[in-house]
Amino acid sequence: MSETTQVLPAVPADANDETTVVPAVEPPFRPSRAGWTARGVVWAALAWVVLALPLNILSPFEVGVTDVDVASLAVIYAIGALSLNVLLGYCGQISLGHQAFVGVGAFASAYIVTNLQLSFFLAVGVAALFGAVQAVLLGAVSLRLTGLYFALVTLAYGSFAQETLFGITSLTGGEGGKPAPRPDFFTSGYRYYYLCLGFLALVLWIDWRLTASKAGRAMAALRENPRVASSYGIDVRAYILVAFAVSGLFAGVAGSLVAHHDEVIVPSSFDFRLALLFVLMTVVGGLRSRTGVVLGAVFFALLEEGALVSMFGLEGFFEGLLGLPTEFVSLVVGPILLVLTLTLYPGGIGQQVAPIRLWLTGHRFDRHAGRVDDVEVTDVRA
Amino acid sequence: MSGLGQELGVAIVTGLLQGCVYALVALGIVLVFRASGVFNFAQAEFGTTGLFAAYAALTLWGWSYTWAIVFGLGVAVAMGLLTERLVVHPLRNASRVTVLVGTAGVALAAIGIQFWQFNETLIMTMPRIVDSLFLVPVIGAPVTVQQLITLGVLIVASVMLALFFRSPAGLTIQAAQQEPTAAELVGISVRRVSMLTWAMAALLGGLAGILSGPNLTFTAGFLSFGAGRALLPGFMAAVLAGMRSMPGAVAGGLTVGVVEQMGTLSMMIEVPGARAMLLFGFLLVVLMVKPHGIFVPRAAATA
Repeated sequence: MSETTQVLPAVPADANDETTVVPAVEPPFRPSRAGWTARGVVWAALAWVVLALPLNILSPFEVGVTDVDVASLAVIYAIGALSLNVLLGYCGQISLGHQAFVGVGAFASAYIVTNLQLSFFLAVGVAALFGAVQAVLLGAVSLRLTGLYFALVTLAYGSFAQETLFGITSLTGGEGGKPAPRPDFFTSGYRYYYLCLGFLALVLWIDWRLTASKAGRAMAALRENPRVASSYGIDVRAYILVAFAVSGLFAGVAGSLVAHHDEVIVPSSFDFRLALLFVLMTVVGGLRSRTGVVLGAVFFALLEEGALVSMFGLEGFFEGLLGLPTEFVSLVVGPILLVLTLTLYPGGIGQQVAPIRLWLTGHRFDRHAGRVDDVEVTDVRA
Repeated sequence: MSGLGQELGVAIVTGLLQGCVYALVALGIVLVFRASGVFNFAQAEFGTTGLFAAYAALTLWGWSYTWAIVFGLGVAVAMGLLTERLVVHPLRNASRVTVLVGTAGVALAAIGIQFWQFNETLIMTMPRIVDSLFLVPVIGAPVTVQQLITLGVLIVASVMLALFFRSPAGLTIQAAQQEPTAAELVGISVRRVSMLTWAMAALLGGLAGILSGPNLTFTAGFLSFGAGRALLPGFMAAVLAGMRSMPGAVAGGLTVGVVEQMGTLSMMIEVPGARAMLLFGFLLVVLMVKPHGIFVPRAAATA
């Protein structure tokens, strides 16, 4: 102890001179040629799974139309989950009425194509617009409310939309459902899958631009502390509305795609369970992690449709051993994963795949990359 | 009586009786919010789980009604305690929205397990405690004895809660809720208090489920989004009570019940989903105009 209390060595007078500060910069990591090859192989395999497998190109498996429909649904759910991620992840606003966001887009799109006989691509645009407008209206309400109360409003809005808005028979066809035919070129399930994939790419691009821009940083700031954010000149209200608009836009696109995916839509398919499913996808996927949210959505979509269980031949385990029918697996497994994510692995799937993702983009493999210590859904607005 | 007057009378009586269930749910929500600051989205599922347990005991295993109710309530309380241990306590330092997502997860898990265990009979019915129905004189509203029992249980539960919060045990709960650190210092186990409140909330939820289930047919998720939807009305009642006041929760539950029944009047017959619309509108108005609640004691309102 006595040594530490001794007189410190005299600080040279010119210690702060910039000539003395020479940081030892390690040259940035560059993968070797073998490393690049390995990464290229993995990228090619990924591209094959996403692009070629559903079309049975170079594939040992035989993928049928129903399986491709499940794959399309997974892609659509990914768009929906990204939509919730904008609100919950970027802004810390929880929405428990997201099924209504998606449903508004779905019925708008179906109405335009069926009743007005207009083109599908116009319908997607209008559905996105409708989604954005209703989201902004709800967001304008939320500006006056704090986090938990806002969750309640979205819950009430969800059931209001499901029963009242979607119950207007002249617009939505009521219980009998509303036909929503697919566009001419994309009537086959295979082609429709690529259409959905295209929209997912577009949504991912917009999402990436959003987070990389001033708006994304403003949202991060206001999520952490709206007062500090506004003291730095960020217009908190405006950026929350921007987040709602973007979220509604994505949800509208997802709704339009899901409508033409099912080809007939009924109001009852947009129930509270769907909203909870979106929350599961986003939180288990990993808030604010684009890769994680997409993977989470795909995981739950495949689980929901029973494709994941049959893919791995687990019917025997679930139905025989546990007596758990395949259609309920996601309802039982999902919440358990959710609680595990919240309590043990706050980063979700995004955290688990972060090392692989970084490795694929040419970084060194680091097992501890992407660690998150808490699901940072901050509730400063609560 | 004239057409509209009678209709209104029927709606008010039905609404008040339906409001008893909402009040029971709201009491649980307020209790938990005061203890943990959590919006407990699993509150209604405590009820459905209790209902399913009672149903299994009564109709599948042939127990007597009394033991079925006791078993159902026991299962609900066990679920409440498990929620506290497995979700709420581990997340005590997390943000409140995170905990909200956690309780929603608990609700979803409960619904999943209900679907799984009862998938042979998707729509269930359970006999009432006393299966008889009569018309209220003058107004002519049909009332089941089951609903009157619910009303009685609500009154008893409110009185017992009021008495409990004046007893030493109740005072420790209040102390722990108001100032956890100071309560720890004077020797109150905040941990145990938290368990106790969750158990009480689950008990109230279980009562709501077991008493309201026999009035209708029920499926998994009955109280959350099924036929006996009480989660949203319960939350609205709690909001009317400013999330703090117990008597306010009861008054709020009855109010929400009546407001919701206005959607069944014949003038609303053209409007699809009139009940959901009224609830949404009512919630918005309340949150815009009186965000701190209506049925709040003056001292609490200024605090």
